Amino acid sequence: VTRRVVITGCGLVTAAGTELDRVWAALMDGTCFIRPLREAEFVAPGMEGLMGAPVELPASDALDAAVDTDARRDRCAQLALAAARRAFADAALPREARADAGVALGTTMGQERQIADLSDRGAASGGPAAVDAGFGARSDVQRLAGVVAAQEGLGGPVLVNVTACASGNAATAWAYDLVATGTADVMAAGGADTFTRLIYCGFSRMGALSKGICHPFDKDRDGVSFGEGAAFIVLEELEHARRRGARIYAELAGYGISNDAYHLTAPDPNGEGFVRAARQALATTGTDPAAVGYVSAHGTGTQYNDLAEARTMKALFGERAPRVPISSVKSMLGHTNGAASAIENVVCALALVNQTVPPTANLRTPDPEMDLDLVRDKGRPIALDVCLNLSAGFGGFNVCTVLKRAP
Amino acid sequence: VTNERIAITGAGLVTPLGDTPLALHAALLEKKRAIAPLASPLAEEGAAGEARIADFDATRYANVRGMRLYGRATRLGICATKLALVDAGHDAASGGTALPAVDLGIVAATGNGYLETAIEYDRGLATVGPQHTNPALMPIALPSAPGAAIALGFGAKAFSITLADGGASSLDALALGARLLASGRAAACVVVGAFTPAAEAVLAAFRAGALAPADAFRVLDRAHRGTAFGEAGAALVLEPLTRARARGAKLLGVLAGFGTTFTPAPSEPASAETALARACEKALSAAGWSGSDVGLVSAGANGAPAGDRAEAAALARVLGQRGDARTPVTAVKAGLGESVDAAGMVQAIAALVALGEKVAPPIAGLEEPEVAGLGYALAPAAIERRRALVTARSESGSCAALLLSCEESDTHVV
Repeated sequence: VTRRVVITGCGLVTAAGTELDRVWAALMDGTCFIRPLREAEFVAPGMEGLMGAPVELPASDALDAAVDTDARRDRCAQLALAAARRAFADAALPREARADAGVALGTTMGQERQIADLSDRGAASGGPAAVDAGFGARSDVQRLAGVVAAQEGLGGPVLVNVTACASGNAATAWAYDLVATGTADVMAAGGADTFTRLIYCGFSRMGALSKGICHPFDKDRDGVSFGEGAAFIVLEELEHARRRGARIYAELAGYGISNDAYHLTAPDPNGEGFVRAARQALATTGTDPAAVGYVSAHGTGTQYNDLAEARTMKALFGERAPRVPISSVKSMLGHTNGAASAIENVVCALALVNQTVPPTANLRTPDPEMDLDLVRDKGRPIALDVCLNLSAGFGGFNVCTVLKRAP
Repeated sequence: VTNERIAITGAGLVTPLGDTPLALHAALLEKKRAIAPLASPLAEEGAAGEARIADFDATRYANVRGMRLYGRATRLGICATKLALVDAGHDAASGGTALPAVDLGIVAATGNGYLETAIEYDRGLATVGPQHTNPALMPIALPSAPGAAIALGFGAKAFSITLADGGASSLDALALGARLLASGRAAACVVVGAFTPAAEAVLAAFRAGALAPADAFRVLDRAHRGTAFGEAGAALVLEPLTRARARGAKLLGVLAGFGTTFTPAPSEPASAETALARACEKALSAAGWSGSDVGLVSAGANGAPAGDRAEAAALARVLGQRGDARTPVTAVKAGLGESVDAAGMVQAIAALVALGEKVAPPIAGLEEPEVAGLGYALAPAAIERRRALVTARSESGSCAALLLSCEESDTHVV
């Protein structure tokens, strides 16, 4: 028996801010937060003129010294915690409901700064001397969710996946299953990532890092712009939410999952795996493709991704593909890696509540292959019942979620 | 979504004490211990030990493109996956029938296995700069690399997810794999755990006082003084029971229940005990079993005094036994060391063989148990009921429990 799963809380930490209303207004306005990064925000060795969409956290989000005395190196835990705290506060979940509640978190490489910190101190002090007693615990990826669970008083499953840039949706899918099958009544699901030099340098060397500001779906798109961020949604069994009178943003109807098994970094150019995941998402949630009113694209702005995604849209929707609104908020918030699809789940939930969909910013000349209904420049009011949130990651990982209007 | 029972149809592993489940079982029966003084260049700091696979050559087990570039944990995972697929009859090259690519999924429990590669790559960035580092190393330095490489290597297109739940990774991964199969996302999946200790993590653990001297490594014993790391790759093939039966597959057992909980204070014995007991109770409740249905415990105890104490107390509470009739408790880390992400999978495989052979391997080096009230296997012990409880804990606070069964009544298709 499958139980219905609804979203009763949202928490966002993005370059556009940390308050849902303000973030939403900025996105609807098509405001781009990608800009030159200051040295205090992020540096990568041997690279200059770095661009990105950094998060500015309120002072009240200062990292507890018990978590780490160095907030710079533990930035990802800080972002995760700030987003989870907001999601739980937003859900107004009573403390007693937390004893069996859990958290599922996805990250691409949330603990990379612990490694960078180690090699920087190693270079300064000569190797092994830089290894302190806390390095093992701090570099443990699960700690990101462990910190959230400890601070928020959760006693249920604490689950972390590292499924590259599909991690946020993979966490959401996992949490969905636990609630849908009755293993848990409440799960927070989301993702977190910060700027990492390993990814900046790697993308730069592969020619996948935009030289300026990313512009997804544009014929002149030249790669990714990165952002920092974290997001959580609180997933709750429908009757559990109703009994406590919780506000319901949207229903998480389910998900689809696949792997390309094609290449370690490149997606299948025809989007074969993407199509399978999206079709599974629609089929397993009993959703007619004709009912999908908005597609939150993975939309990274690389040549490969956007082309594969356009082909996916055509395979999925056929003749209707040019009439299905699609956009990528990565054009404003940057690509936040493991947090991206988690942020986009919040965006879809807010779109369903507000009956408005966000635009792609910086889209000047659409690629002729992208003969889709590209929502551009400003948000668009529409009658919206179903959103499809696509995500993919290095390694051929594809996970798509389906969100529906609150029951 | 169905409540389909999930069967185990193949097992494969590469460990310091053997590269087949039966070889490992035989070594454990003989109380062999693979813990040796650290081979790492960082070893001069102390006399801590670890368990390494001597002369590990991945190409002896599997041949996938790019193998040489992959980190050691990924290679261990690839080898275990191959061996498990062969064992399940899903490997065409060894006379089996390969599944269609879209019907095979991967769940990799290897989240901390990337550390060695990532540290090496990042050190290159910091010292010689990005222009002089090999860009091909970036994707394999990501924590997601093992799941990507294994899916690519074996053409698994149904799904691939990599978990990073530390010591709870393997049991969480089995629960996830079972769930994905039950909801029809694949016809079969390989759940694979892989771990190799990065030198820096070992040194950090040593400096934190968490490691025992190599010659003093004991598990659940009054003389326990800390843990020792060990490397391993271990994998199980899961399939819906009806499907496994229909194709006439050999059944190693079924997954009967899971439980996962969290404690914010994993190093406080009382808190850890309660959380682990709660995980076991959740698993028992999911399976409809009571503590007395358990015929073998494959414990996650690793020699860390507080953890051993908490686990023994939790098991005593859950099993609730009085008098002489006690369920045998084994702890394979006494011979193999702590293989974090892979540990639960190794424990599960050791438990499956033990249930099959109806004999629990003894806990190597255990002379004087610290906590009374459990049926510690001090010598090979007979198993009355072919049902096992496997336990695991993570440093961050997760507690996980898995129930396995080889009883006819459980492997029977209703």
